Amino acid sequence: MKYVDEFRDGELARAVAAGIASITDPDRHYKIMEVCGGHTHTIYRHGIKDLLPDQVELVHGPGCPVCVLPMGRVDEGIEIAERPEVIFTCFGDMMRVPGSRGNLLEIKAEGADIRMVYSPLDALRIARENPEREVVFYAIGFETTAPSTALTLQRAKKEGIENFSVFCNHVTIVPPVRALLDSPDLRLDAFIGPGHVSTVIGCRPYEFMSADYDKPCVVAGFEPLDLLQSILMLMRQLEDGRCEVENQYGRVVPWEGNLQALKSMAEVFELRPYFEWRGLGFIAQSALKLSPAYADFDAELRYSTPGVRVADPKACQCGEVLKGVLKPHECRVFGTACTPERPLGALMVSSEGACAAYYNFGRKSFEKVEIGSRK
Amino acid sequence: MLPGYCTLDHDGCVTCSDAGIPVRVVSMEGDDALCEDTAGNRARIAVELVVPVRVGEVLLTHGGVAIGKVAAQEEDFSEVRR
Repeated sequence: MKYVDEFRDGELARAVAAGIASITDPDRHYKIMEVCGGHTHTIYRHGIKDLLPDQVELVHGPGCPVCVLPMGRVDEGIEIAERPEVIFTCFGDMMRVPGSRGNLLEIKAEGADIRMVYSPLDALRIARENPEREVVFYAIGFETTAPSTALTLQRAKKEGIENFSVFCNHVTIVPPVRALLDSPDLRLDAFIGPGHVSTVIGCRPYEFMSADYDKPCVVAGFEPLDLLQSILMLMRQLEDGRCEVENQYGRVVPWEGNLQALKSMAEVFELRPYFEWRGLGFIAQSALKLSPAYADFDAELRYSTPGVRVADPKACQCGEVLKGVLKPHECRVFGTACTPERPLGALMVSSEGACAAYYNFGRKSFEKVEIGSRK
Repeated sequence: MLPGYCTLDHDGCVTCSDAGIPVRVVSMEGDDALCEDTAGNRARIAVELVVPVRVGEVLLTHGGVAIGKVAAQEEDFSEVRR
């Protein structure tokens, strides 16, 4: 199929890998962060890591919204879902994210009316079909997902649907990346930018990386060759001493983003003053809430959610993994107390989470690791 | 269909912002479009955010909403080959 086959050409992949190797300084260690969980998934599914020289280390970033969601927000969603008048709707992966009292699947088994939807528009349809019930959608995701919530709310308002509300947990990608760059724990050389977030926001928001921090960034697609080519582009920038934002994913990402989607988001959302991120703490202006024009659809106001804070399980080291300080297999509960079947931390829940990607596809990598190095 | 690539019935993690699915527009239905993915699955996709949309165009969708268009250009790997 066009747009797929040409990005999985083994001969080209070997050529790109050889190109990367040819400009790798054997005396230098390169740390490149892939911000997006989808990239982590591609890297492990296709064994890209094994094609790279040992000097090139890929560090997993915070780009999985399920993974960065603090436990308190899960608990608040569960409290709303337990209300007898509520039909609670959410994406599938959200069902298994553990809160302090269990997850949404367990609450559903106890009798709560919780339904998995593929789109917020499905949640709106459920509201139309059940006018005597209150339908709440658990909105989560970066700027790729936020437009679908915005569009759904615009339709709900236009149709005057009053039994629909949104528990908004949308987050934005730039503030956590800036927080990582400010973190003393980490020395990163370059960034692989998230491809589909950039479809919406464009490439301009990443210019601070080169302007303020002297870090190259390449916005990348999700096929194996996309990622290899992006790493090559970053390595060339590092070799040349350049710091630029480049767009490898031009077939999908316009430099200016999707202006219609941004306009829709600007009407429906506004920035929160601050928001808590798992592992990263509170980050200013890093999340979205509904704007005053859409306050009638805001589940936080409708159900007066208290804004509780819940600490992560002590054994769980999701925070260090999210910041790239630890590799997933270096977490003390990885693969033992924490598995995809029984996850302790969110990074193991989401199929895009770094721990789940390691667990499912990273076996070969573990062979290189001394088991005794686990902390 | 090649395994691993996002389709309407297998998109990895929809909550991950980057689970975008390429689909081709089959027909227009008001504010929605009937679209088909690489595996032949069809779904109604909201297209307000990418108008104007024409039958045959390839859209990038996420959560039932089109968020971008896939450019009908040949990918240039000459840079890679050099």
